[in-house]
Amino acid sequence: MRQTRMLALGASVLALISACTTGGGGASPSTGTTVAPPTSASQPSGTPAGQPSGTPGGQKPTVKVGSDGFYEAKLMAEIYAQALENGGYTVERTGIGIGTRSVSAAALDSNQINLKPEYIGSGLGFYAKTDPKCAVASPAASASAAAAPAPAGCTPTGDATANSAALQALLASKGITVLTYSPAVDTNAFVVRQDTATQYSLAKMSDTTAVQDKIKWGLATDCATNALCGAPGGALQSAYGITQKTIDGAKPLSACDQPMVDALKAKTIDLGELCSTQPDIAKNSWVLLADDKSTQPADNLAPLVRDDLLAQVDKTSFEKILNDASAKMDTATLTKLNAQITFDKKDIPVVATQWLKDSGLVK
Amino acid sequence: MSLLNQALAWLSDPAHWQGSVGIPNRLFEHVLLAGASLAIATLIGLSIGVWIGHTGRHTTIAINSANFGRALPSLAAIAIAQPFTVAIDPDLGFAVYPTIIGMIVLAVPPILVNAYAGVAGVDRDLVEAGRGMGMRERQLLTSVELPLAVPVIAAGMRSAAVQIIATSTLGAIFGFGGLGRYVIDGYARQDNGQIWGGVILVAGLAIATELAFVLLQRRLTPRGLRLQQPRSGAEPEPERELAAA
Repeated sequence: MRQTRMLALGASVLALISACTTGGGGASPSTGTTVAPPTSASQPSGTPAGQPSGTPGGQKPTVKVGSDGFYEAKLMAEIYAQALENGGYTVERTGIGIGTRSVSAAALDSNQINLKPEYIGSGLGFYAKTDPKCAVASPAASASAAAAPAPAGCTPTGDATANSAALQALLASKGITVLTYSPAVDTNAFVVRQDTATQYSLAKMSDTTAVQDKIKWGLATDCATNALCGAPGGALQSAYGITQKTIDGAKPLSACDQPMVDALKAKTIDLGELCSTQPDIAKNSWVLLADDKSTQPADNLAPLVRDDLLAQVDKTSFEKILNDASAKMDTATLTKLNAQITFDKKDIPVVATQWLKDSGLVK
Repeated sequence: MSLLNQALAWLSDPAHWQGSVGIPNRLFEHVLLAGASLAIATLIGLSIGVWIGHTGRHTTIAINSANFGRALPSLAAIAIAQPFTVAIDPDLGFAVYPTIIGMIVLAVPPILVNAYAGVAGVDRDLVEAGRGMGMRERQLLTSVELPLAVPVIAAGMRSAAVQIIATSTLGAIFGFGGLGRYVIDGYARQDNGQIWGGVILVAGLAIATELAFVLLQRRLTPRGLRLQQPRSGAEPEPERELAAA
């Protein structure tokens, strides 16, 4: 009796395992480095254009849209997705909101997604980290204050055009194109409550250096490896003298997103890493600490598209759809749409549809 | 480099063993939270389970309420608890208290159901013999029922402990430390060595906990019982649990 049960259990486990391995081709977006990049043969069903060598123009293959995890990134991805659908393309959305930049970049690299919105300044910083052209002489050199300057085109600046060009230069070898950047800008914003600002006289980031041990920090989960945040030699450490100990002791939360806002409101943290377009800053009268050492670059939004997708479509009309949407977006509008998502609790697709209609991009 | 090699490389890096983000501290945080959750869950589950096992009253409602804890996803339990605990204590109430509550919800069902099954499953003849000897209810419980129920109760606690160890990694999503930190941060940074190093640590801790409880169970099982059963410390609980629930 017991033996029969064991046999039955074993058989069903085997059946389950074999079902999982044959069925789920591109099911998990996160393991970009471990799963072999899916060839065009294993794309999800419904893709008419599985040809490995794209015959130029004319086709409308499935566009796999993805994005980072925070709601603004998902909103931009949804806007691009709906604009493309309006243009007759089929869009797959499973990659939207899959994780931090490390995750979505890996997904773009391995063709699990072929379109994602990016912030050109911090995006440049991210890709420069792993690009051999931008490698600094030794890791120790980058941590010291008098670091050797990185090669040109590897450091994001306040110049959006320069950032976009530099990002494109790094991504060309990966087969990714950076389309026209939008006027909409969203940078890292280090924010404190009014009471904290008053108590420690905080108005700019440099003011936090002296009191860093007295306040509770909340930083992104990838802050310690992000040059625009807490990486050694990065913005917080080298420009503002924030110690590794402070960074390690910070509460690791999802930045630019609700958890960080909740923690700041609940006084679990005193200083939170938010995004400049988060409407909660204005609503709660929080203080956005001025970036007096200009560490945060011009972070305009721009879509990243894989070249193999561009090769399959009518490039001109495809890019026009995306560029038109980017051009109509600006910082104020983005903040307003974010407010609809956070405060009015509207669904992201609903907000996207309404904006596309109001802007005349979609009927 | 294979995942295993990456994980081993990450684990053998001395930098990962130092400071507040190092493995010893994370291990300490993890064990502390797991221990606190297990202690509270045991208090709740054991007391109710033994009582309903001994008296035989309200068994259905108690067991079904407890099993609700199995059905509720732990992530949801933590998220639901957070707004309440954060109002009580902004610091610990953000991640620590909600995670403890989530773990208690997870751990009470196996402890309660096994406590009930263990006590209720004691041979009625022995209980009657005890009553015939003039034992009072409390003596009956402590001298007859509980000692005989130890194997089943211990199995329930062992199961609960291992589940807590593995599932408290969820707390890291809400900013808690512990070993879950390596899995969550590793994923955020796409650092496979960190993810799998964390996995190995959690699995290792779970196995070590399992072994510790096996030893504890052997220690607590009355000698007579141990000598009697040829497969000492055997797990009758699957059948018993089913019969009881």
